Amino acid sequence: MSIVALLTQFGDRYLSALFTTYKLTAAAFALAVVIGVAVTVMRIAPVKPLRMAAEFYVQVFRNIPGAALLIFLVYALPYLNIVLSYHVCVLTAITLIPSAFCSEYLMAGMNTIGPGQIEAARSLGMTFAQLVRNVVLPQAVRSSVLQMTNLLVATMLTTALASQVPLNPTDLTGIVSYINTHAVGGVTAFLISAVLYCVTAIVIGQVGNLIDRKVRILR
Amino acid sequence: MSTANRSIRDVLYEPPGPKTRRRIRIATAVSIVVIVVLVAEVVRQFYIAGQLSPKYWSLFARYTTWRFLGRGLAGTMEVAVAASAVAFAAGLVLMLGRISRYKILRGLSTALIEITRGIPTLLFIYFFFLLAPQFGLKLPAFWKITLPVAISAAGVVAEVLRSGVNAVPKGQTEAAVSLGMRGGSVFFKIVFPQGLRYVVPALISEIVIVLKDTTFAYVVNYSDLMQNAKVLISNYDALLSVYLVTAVIYILINYLLHRLSVRIAGRNRIPGVTIE
Amino acid sequence: MAQEPKRTDAAQQIPVIELRHIDKYFGSLHVLKNVSLSVQRGEVVVIIGPSGSGKSTLCRTINRLETIDSGEIIIDGAVMPEEGKMLAKLRSEIGMVFQSFNLFEHKSILDNVTIAPRDVLRVPRKEAQEEAMRLLERVGVADQAHKVPAQLSGGQKQRVAIARALAMHPKAILFDEPTSALDPEMIGEVLDVMTELAREGMTMVIVTHEMNFARRVADRVIFMDGGSILEENTPQEFFSAPRSQRARDFLNSLGEREKQVRNV
Repeated sequence: MSIVALLTQFGDRYLSALFTTYKLTAAAFALAVVIGVAVTVMRIAPVKPLRMAAEFYVQVFRNIPGAALLIFLVYALPYLNIVLSYHVCVLTAITLIPSAFCSEYLMAGMNTIGPGQIEAARSLGMTFAQLVRNVVLPQAVRSSVLQMTNLLVATMLTTALASQVPLNPTDLTGIVSYINTHAVGGVTAFLISAVLYCVTAIVIGQVGNLIDRKVRILR
Repeated sequence: MSTANRSIRDVLYEPPGPKTRRRIRIATAVSIVVIVVLVAEVVRQFYIAGQLSPKYWSLFARYTTWRFLGRGLAGTMEVAVAASAVAFAAGLVLMLGRISRYKILRGLSTALIEITRGIPTLLFIYFFFLLAPQFGLKLPAFWKITLPVAISAAGVVAEVLRSGVNAVPKGQTEAAVSLGMRGGSVFFKIVFPQGLRYVVPALISEIVIVLKDTTFAYVVNYSDLMQNAKVLISNYDALLSVYLVTAVIYILINYLLHRLSVRIAGRNRIPGVTIE
Repeated sequence: MAQEPKRTDAAQQIPVIELRHIDKYFGSLHVLKNVSLSVQRGEVVVIIGPSGSGKSTLCRTINRLETIDSGEIIIDGAVMPEEGKMLAKLRSEIGMVFQSFNLFEHKSILDNVTIAPRDVLRVPRKEAQEEAMRLLERVGVADQAHKVPAQLSGGQKQRVAIARALAMHPKAILFDEPTSALDPEMIGEVLDVMTELAREGMTMVIVTHEMNFARRVADRVIFMDGGSILEENTPQEFFSAPRSQRARDFLNSLGEREKQVRNV
């Protein structure tokens, strides 16, 4: 099938597939960052059970395969009388996994801060809240820009999990198998999705580099 | 006391005074209660749904169950090992292209790296599953899962290797050249082995990703741990327990790999060198 | 905002810093042994001693960056508590200059100096900036105000750190080996600023290895070894006729080293 024929027949579907992938990516990333920040706060809290619970959370979700998690959510949860829509299952799976990595990156970003700066802040009379606000948070955020960009790309790649459940409209990966079961899309069908993914990833990467160059902390 | 070897976690909180200690004790008590309640709630949910019934769990007392899961795990491992090896080889080639002195090679390699890093593994799997047959390419299921997983990892491996090679001090090359070694052997005998050592932890992390990606084997009908779990489920009519145990197996293996990577990273740490 | 600390004594002559019977352990190691010290307004106290003698720990104890196991720390008549707002308040009254500068790496030089006055003392931005520029001028780095710490030399960084401490209008400044991390050619510029401060009447507690500097600016020299204060003396007496044997040994070993360095 030529690209023109393919786009005439499936152009709308590609557009909504792209939109679905973007929507899932944005929603999952936003949720993952919120959860990641909360989990990180728990991981550094001086309360041991909280630390252990947060550590457990991170280890579970950074190590579970996306497919295993999605299958569990879709097929196993109903046996616990919890029935979630496919959409919610997908969003949950593609949020929980990046949230664990988000927390790992934030921890790494925090570890780039010299401990002497905390002592300096204290010696200037800053309270805990003041030193977190003035010294810890801004540096942790600024030094994790590149990793957060990688996380955004990784989240987008994870959204391909959506192709494993019947979802309407499908995502960019799902549409390839859709077209190939309804027509002979051939390589073109694959290529269109591949290019869309790739271009998005490269654009995200470039924007990330740009931001990083602006906010990077010279050491 | 010197501040050199402390991390932020050690200094973020001051040693607590009596008031703070009391607050921490209260917070600890409250969080223990919350955690216990949550766990109890999960168990209760299992109980209400009848999922604690022995019929769902007794299969795990059988040797055959574990042998079958073990066989699936072996299938998973075969794919993971093969995909890691292919990814390493391809990554090495891409890295060499990326740092080559020929512009065309550099451009081509950079493009390939970006492409493999910017496309989901599943899409590659569909490529081999749906499209390869259209070209008359008949691959066994093993390669239909191994190749896409490997391709998907190759770009990352290339970049990891490159960061390792870049971290090798320039003095090493200069020293080798001054001893009369030639370009190729300087790289492969002096620079690359050292760079490789720096990035062993990052490569192990990539193996974790490869291992996770192998769970898509069901798409191409290759029997891995996940597929065998499915067979168990239909044999014993025990879906939740089997999927739960399977997930725990994956998590444990990846967790152990992750720990290994952290340990090697700790041992290999070179002052002044940070590898992403 | 924290309330004004309750000062226990209204008399004029209360010390700015007073340590009473401080004991501190690192595990089983007794690093401060029943140390008492008082520093009067305008006094410059230099603490010297071999490495591991506890002098740095003592300095860091004054604003409770180190915990103590027993004893009392009194800042200008107010007991420094273990925790809370009052601890922060009393710390803000005592400046500190560290060996490794500890500037805030993500902030400009100007912001490094203004951040604490603005956030802790609630000084309006403009006022804080004007004052900061005056201070940077005074320590000779005003032309670097809009750079970040990584762009400065060690000597410049340390002078910024001094300006940062001064911006809080402290009642005293603690210097924890302020020149130990500096290249030799930069030590002078930092010591000059400190000498100037001493001359203007700033109360200072200085841990240092710079003996000539100590001789020049100290009102009082404190010699520590093994976690105890072994000798308190005027610089003249201490450097010419130390009372304790260990101080003599210490000064001799320094002399030997200097001789060796010269002979090399």
